[in-house]
Amino acid sequence: MLTILTFLPVAGALLMLIFMRGRPNAYKTAALATTIIVFALSVYLAATFKTGTADFQFQENHSWISSLGINYHLGIDGISLLLVLLTTLLSMVAILGTWNSIKDRGLAFFISLLVLETGMLGVFISMDLFLFYVFWEIQLIPMYFIIGIWGGPRRVYAAIKFFLYTFAGSVLMLVAILAIVWSYRNSGGPLTFDILTLQHAGFGGTIAALSFAAFFIAFAIKVPMFPVHTWLPDAHTEAPTAGSVILAGVLLKMGVYGMIRFCIGFFPAVAVKAMLPVIILSVIAVIYGAAMSLVQNDMKRLVAYSSVSHMGFVTLGLFTFTAQGVQGSILQMISHGILTGALFMIVGFFYDRTHTRLIKDYGGLARPMPVAAAFLSLFVIGSLGLPGLSGFVGEFLILVGTFQYMKVFAVLASVGIILGAAYLLWMYQRTMFQHANEKWLSLKDLSAREIITLVPLVGMAIWIGIYPHTFLNMIDVPAQNILHQVQPYLAQHGGSVLRFASALFGGN
Amino acid sequence: MKASDIIAVLPELILLVAAGAILLVEAFLKPRVVRDENGAVCGEAPADRTAVMAIALVGFAASIAVALLLYGHDRTAFAGMMALDSWAIFFKVLFGITGFITVLMSSSYLEAHRRHMGEYYALLVFAVIGLDLMAGARDFILFYVSFELMSIASYLLAAYFRYRKHSNEAALKYFLTGSFASAIMLYGISLIYGETGFTNYTAIARSLGGHEGAPAVVFAILLIGVGLAFKVSAAPFHMWTPDVYQGAPTPVTAFFATGPKIGAFSVFMTAFFMAFPGAAHEWGIFFLVLSILTMLVGNLFALVQSNIKRMLAYSSIAHAGYLLAGLAAVGLGSFVGRSTYPDPAKGVLIYLVAYAFMNLGAFAVLAYLKTQCPDKFDFSLKHFAGLGRRSPWAGALLSLFLLSLAGIPGTAGFIGKFYVFSGIVQLGYWWLAVIGVLMSAVSAYYYLRVIIYMWFREPEEELVLRAPISGSMAAALTLAAAATILIGIVPQRLWDAVAQAVASLFS
Repeated sequence: MLTILTFLPVAGALLMLIFMRGRPNAYKTAALATTIIVFALSVYLAATFKTGTADFQFQENHSWISSLGINYHLGIDGISLLLVLLTTLLSMVAILGTWNSIKDRGLAFFISLLVLETGMLGVFISMDLFLFYVFWEIQLIPMYFIIGIWGGPRRVYAAIKFFLYTFAGSVLMLVAILAIVWSYRNSGGPLTFDILTLQHAGFGGTIAALSFAAFFIAFAIKVPMFPVHTWLPDAHTEAPTAGSVILAGVLLKMGVYGMIRFCIGFFPAVAVKAMLPVIILSVIAVIYGAAMSLVQNDMKRLVAYSSVSHMGFVTLGLFTFTAQGVQGSILQMISHGILTGALFMIVGFFYDRTHTRLIKDYGGLARPMPVAAAFLSLFVIGSLGLPGLSGFVGEFLILVGTFQYMKVFAVLASVGIILGAAYLLWMYQRTMFQHANEKWLSLKDLSAREIITLVPLVGMAIWIGIYPHTFLNMIDVPAQNILHQVQPYLAQHGGSVLRFASALFGGN
Repeated sequence: MKASDIIAVLPELILLVAAGAILLVEAFLKPRVVRDENGAVCGEAPADRTAVMAIALVGFAASIAVALLLYGHDRTAFAGMMALDSWAIFFKVLFGITGFITVLMSSSYLEAHRRHMGEYYALLVFAVIGLDLMAGARDFILFYVSFELMSIASYLLAAYFRYRKHSNEAALKYFLTGSFASAIMLYGISLIYGETGFTNYTAIARSLGGHEGAPAVVFAILLIGVGLAFKVSAAPFHMWTPDVYQGAPTPVTAFFATGPKIGAFSVFMTAFFMAFPGAAHEWGIFFLVLSILTMLVGNLFALVQSNIKRMLAYSSIAHAGYLLAGLAAVGLGSFVGRSTYPDPAKGVLIYLVAYAFMNLGAFAVLAYLKTQCPDKFDFSLKHFAGLGRRSPWAGALLSLFLLSLAGIPGTAGFIGKFYVFSGIVQLGYWWLAVIGVLMSAVSAYYYLRVIIYMWFREPEEELVLRAPISGSMAAALTLAAAATILIGIVPQRLWDAVAQAVASLFS
């Protein structure tokens, strides 16, 4: 089941490559059909998924490279399931949304998107470290080509920066993977890359600290956390619309997913020790990202920096190790994927018409394009955290969690929310209202295809905003499981961290 | 010598017959008569060399087949001078494949340069005979003789385009540095002989037993190591590599980058493991220093190359660095009493196989591009601009080989790096692995740069292209690409073969 889900996009891509060369409509339809089937499959998975357990479901386990104990082992828990759903949804939306934007080498573009989908799904469902690493690296290639071939004017620079940042982080992770596998073996365990087995190994000492650092750096680059975020604005800005949507929507989440599975799963003791520095970095990212967004004159760059800010919330919530914080963090990932994906999508729609992304070139667009303005307003207020839409639930839970841990950080993080409201509304005002630019008065409003692209995202934003229980139910037990892993260490070290922090910041 | 000793050299004998047949048949080939459209004779064209190429291919295939048939019939021959075990067979097959693919990519390249002659194939076969014997040698004298056979054939191959200045320069440089290295090595061998009175690996080990730390012995090991380091182009003995690789005909470069290098690594392991096991710590440190230097030099110099052939030369230096890191771990690891894990050695073997296929593939694409446009194309980066549009298959294949060289999962290059670094980390040298992976992150930059030119840039000038790809070139590319992907996805069979090979050396 999971194998079919993962490799169906590649199968579709192969069919397109063999049978549909030079027939744009055929391969576009095939690509869309593939992603729709994959999405339907993932919804079916979600429907048959048993909530209320932290066990991995739909497992498949076959021996792959027996000499090193590497297995082809797949499985999902609630967290993976949500991210799988997000991936399949956004892949579908991305293909529909860029239906006509890609004129040059369209077949290669849609094949890249499908291969990328396989890579992303593989990352979320791998239960073997080797397999995880393979998928983690493989998805770099299609993304690299998507940015490099179909991107904006500075695409080459952005593509290579994106690739090298991630690659440098992940090769260190490779050494860490080998280090923990062999350390487990040398301490008498079997030679295995199985994630669940290694989670129970209980690594300690130098090896745990160093491996945690290597894993953490690899994932922090992907998230991206301050100060390793600099690849993100370039990559986001230069990538074509579909690339930005997938990049913001799914690729960044792979970083957080890795932190949950490996940084906390393998080294709970080190993770607890790293709590305070990570939280401080997260808060810096929240405020810094928001402040940078304020001064951007490029809409895509603005949304890109807002991602830094919002992902700061995600890591903040995760590392408070409170029930609300962790749940909020996971929910915020999903919400950010939908809202930011949608924002990039709409910016892409504008760009298709005007071929500029500079805020100063816009103005008064609400008059010729009222429907687009309405959609944009919805995603903007969702993104700035208005109750009733998805952004609010995640941020609220995260703030509650942070408040329990240390008040000062909650206060600082809410500054980020206020700034968020400022830059998003200001951007909205300058582009949609104010003096109308004569050039754009004749622009056509969103087409039926573009509206269909956005509707699922609106639906999800409202669903999560009004009835988050559907999703919280899926992640409740896995989140408890995370807390359960760190609990013993929190009791040991948490006290001292708190005392140290309160001495510094005057918390409770 | 017993009559049954012949069995141990059967694969080489077959190659010898093939080389002789090539030279013989070549002498009888007649120039083709060229007729104009009316059927009147208007000139002569060089003879069709398909026959000699076919003999070379059959020779390689037969020697691979015989080597595989001999699997399991382990024996030593010629009074212990050479062995036929899974180790030797592993390398004989690998060298056979290397020669086979080189021949496949050569014919259309030589045709395009109007230098398609039988001697070329004969020299190539002789070089492979030398390599085969190197892998089977268990005695320094046999090793040295086969090493020279391989080297002299290589010098001639480098000079094959004798009317071209670059080719001459390459050959002369290769010859001078190569002879120098041979002399140094021979001096080391003579010192060992003087110290022990033996040239046989195991006899040396027995005779040295416990006295490996003696200055003369360490000095001798160092000299032998330096001589071989020349051949694997390890820094600081790498200076000749970029010039020779750039100047030699491209298929020859493909062979240089793989065959002699792999051969030297096989000797590094046989000679050092078997003759100097007690000095493992000393040669471990030697390899360690060499490997760190080589990784740094290879990768950093490759960063600034604008000629792809030269870049691949530096990249092959860098890859030698990763391989040496594996050897260093074997040496250092066995010193601290963990020699029960020859895993880094297995990793090195896997890497060598992966390295052979991806390098042959990359150079084959270069040879193909040169064949297409022999006058203008000079392997400079700007000539790769727009390749993805001009010939998408060549672009896709070169991308595959470059990604494999960079070590992206799903390709042989990743599996090779994974096994080598896994072995290194297993023995506790994780910091060495960190240097290695960081350097391979650096390497991603220069490999990706080529991909950028191929896919993301538009060409500055249109290159006029010649006839479509020849069948043999396509076969060479297919073989290399299929192996690169297969090893990348299902490496288990290769691992089993490697485990057998290493076991026969350590038993």
